[in-house]
Amino acid sequence: MISDVLIGIGLLFVIIGTIGILRFRDVYSRLQASGVSDNAGLGLILIGLIVRNGLSSDDLKLGLLLVLLLLTNPIITHSIAKSAFVRRHGPGDGAE
Amino acid sequence: MIIAESLLLLSLLAVLYLFVRGPHAWDRLLGYNAASNRIFVLLALISVISKRHVYLDATIVYAALSFLGVVILARFMERGGGHR
Repeated sequence: MISDVLIGIGLLFVIIGTIGILRFRDVYSRLQASGVSDNAGLGLILIGLIVRNGLSSDDLKLGLLLVLLLLTNPIITHSIAKSAFVRRHGPGDGAE
Repeated sequence: MIIAESLLLLSLLAVLYLFVRGPHAWDRLLGYNAASNRIFVLLALISVISKRHVYLDATIVYAALSFLGVVILARFMERGGGHR
């Protein structure tokens, strides 16, 4: 019950973020949509899976996966943005 | 629960479309990162729902290796290779 609600809210975040990734125009806007919505949505889905699984040793693995997601996703966002900024990729370049 | 799996799979296909289409190399890198995030959450979802608990170890290894690959590719393009 609670896990269904958590997974549903997480899927809502993920779908809104996917629409944002597809509809925005340049790299930085897409990074913003991806970085905000993926952390919230996929993290909520993993928390819902932890609640659904019950008390077992798999909770540690799912928790490790959640910590890995929340720790590495901002690093990746920063790294891609710095890489595009250092190569003089302007904010309006690549618009279709 | 089949609804959650299919919605996540649909989102994965949309991000893979960005990975194919993206005008610049950074768009493709962003699409690759988002697709690998969705892939490992989908793998965890399948492993919890259908109670195949062996898949969780593969999921952790996949997440760590995809983080390493994306960071290395971003550093490579920062030094000036591979874009265009």
